[in-house]
Amino acid sequence: MNLDFSQIVPYIPFMLEGIWVTLGFVIIAIVIGFFIGSFIALVKISHIKVLRWIADFYTSVFRGTPLILQLMFVYYAVPQVLGYDISPFLSAILTFGLNSSAYVSEIIRAGIEAVDKGQREAAMALGIPYRPMMIKIILPQAMKNILPALMNEFITLTKESAIVSVINYLDLMRRAQVVGAELYRNFEAYIFVGAIYYVMVMMLTVLGKLLERRLKKSD
Amino acid sequence: MIKVENLHKSFGDIEVLQNINTSIEKGEVVAIIGPSGSGKSTFLRCINVLESPTAGHIWVDGEDLTEPGVNILNIRQKIGMVFQHFHLFPHMKVLDNLTYAPLTVKDVSKLEAETHAHELLSSVGLSDKIDAYPNSLSGGQKQRVAIARALAMEPELMLFDEPTSALDPEMVKEVLDVIKSLAKSGMTMAVVTHEMGFAREVADRIIFMDYGKIVEEAKPEEFFSSAKTDRARDFLEKVL
Repeated sequence: MNLDFSQIVPYIPFMLEGIWVTLGFVIIAIVIGFFIGSFIALVKISHIKVLRWIADFYTSVFRGTPLILQLMFVYYAVPQVLGYDISPFLSAILTFGLNSSAYVSEIIRAGIEAVDKGQREAAMALGIPYRPMMIKIILPQAMKNILPALMNEFITLTKESAIVSVINYLDLMRRAQVVGAELYRNFEAYIFVGAIYYVMVMMLTVLGKLLERRLKKSD
Repeated sequence: MIKVENLHKSFGDIEVLQNINTSIEKGEVVAIIGPSGSGKSTFLRCINVLESPTAGHIWVDGEDLTEPGVNILNIRQKIGMVFQHFHLFPHMKVLDNLTYAPLTVKDVSKLEAETHAHELLSSVGLSDKIDAYPNSLSGGQKQRVAIARALAMEPELMLFDEPTSALDPEMVKEVLDVIKSLAKSGMTMAVVTHEMGFAREVADRIIFMDYGKIVEEAKPEEFFSSAKTDRARDFLEKVL
């Protein structure tokens, strides 16, 4: 056995910095994904067939191709066409944000459609217009279905974010690769970074559980 | 107040309502009865356009709600509806269930809306439940709150869609009593019901439906003692 964790000690600050890099673009991607996803969800439950068809197609493209392909496409292939040299950071938030929006839109759509049809009818029968009906009656009830699923999506996104290492973005994962290559010691670096991912995901999981318990309280 | 002319409603190939012609006068209480699947509920739901008619006309206060561009929200605000399964808003307290719609669509102050809600809740005997959430109420209490919620909009017409069908037997009476006193107060009402005793006692007129058609219309005494059509007699024999 040839293990020596003391060797990575000088590189620990370098790797820890990766936490903020990863969290930074994951949070931005989540925000982008949430807003675009909410908008697409509204399109999906609308009555305009053409828009619905486009939204469904958009979703199926992002769900039907590998994320790593989407990322490399944005970073390597798009500049070839547009002539714009896109940065790794921009590629990352764009790809993860758009990809996440596809999943988020499905989560929100399903959450809204799971609300008892009678709620909508009761609101309609009272003469309540569409907007207040959605905002005050349907969405608060849909949140119960949406929030736990959304939390899962955030957890997935945090883990999948490691893929950005392939476009040379210096996130947590890429830093482990760099340190591993530098020291010819991969085991220690990957274990260290793996533990950090694990702690981050566990924290999100606990947060999700707390949220779920709070939502159940009002029953 | 309501006039229905040649109303048709189809779901795909299935014709649920065929050539319905009738009217409801101001202050009149109409009970709509008939076997399951006869189109009673669909007919009721056409009156406030929860189902949009396939053909024909429905006038509410002289306004044809099948006319394109008609303001359906306005018409719905004049028509209260009570559902079989209550459909209270579970995330709102009883008080908010009653005040939400008036505060959202009518020009009333919070104080007015809440005062009115208090009055309505006391008239259905549920003043003590004002701060409760719907899930903590019994079925009968939920339905009484649902009636109060519909009345909070001060409708000119009330539609009841099998208001007691989802209730435990011992709770039917408390809900029927509320509907009866509402009828006595002069409210115009259309009630889809399986409670024959109630229909007989409260209604000014019975509409008997079968296979999507109005088969017979008569005063309750007449209808229950000497129905004209075989179909109605056959039905009454089974349910009475």
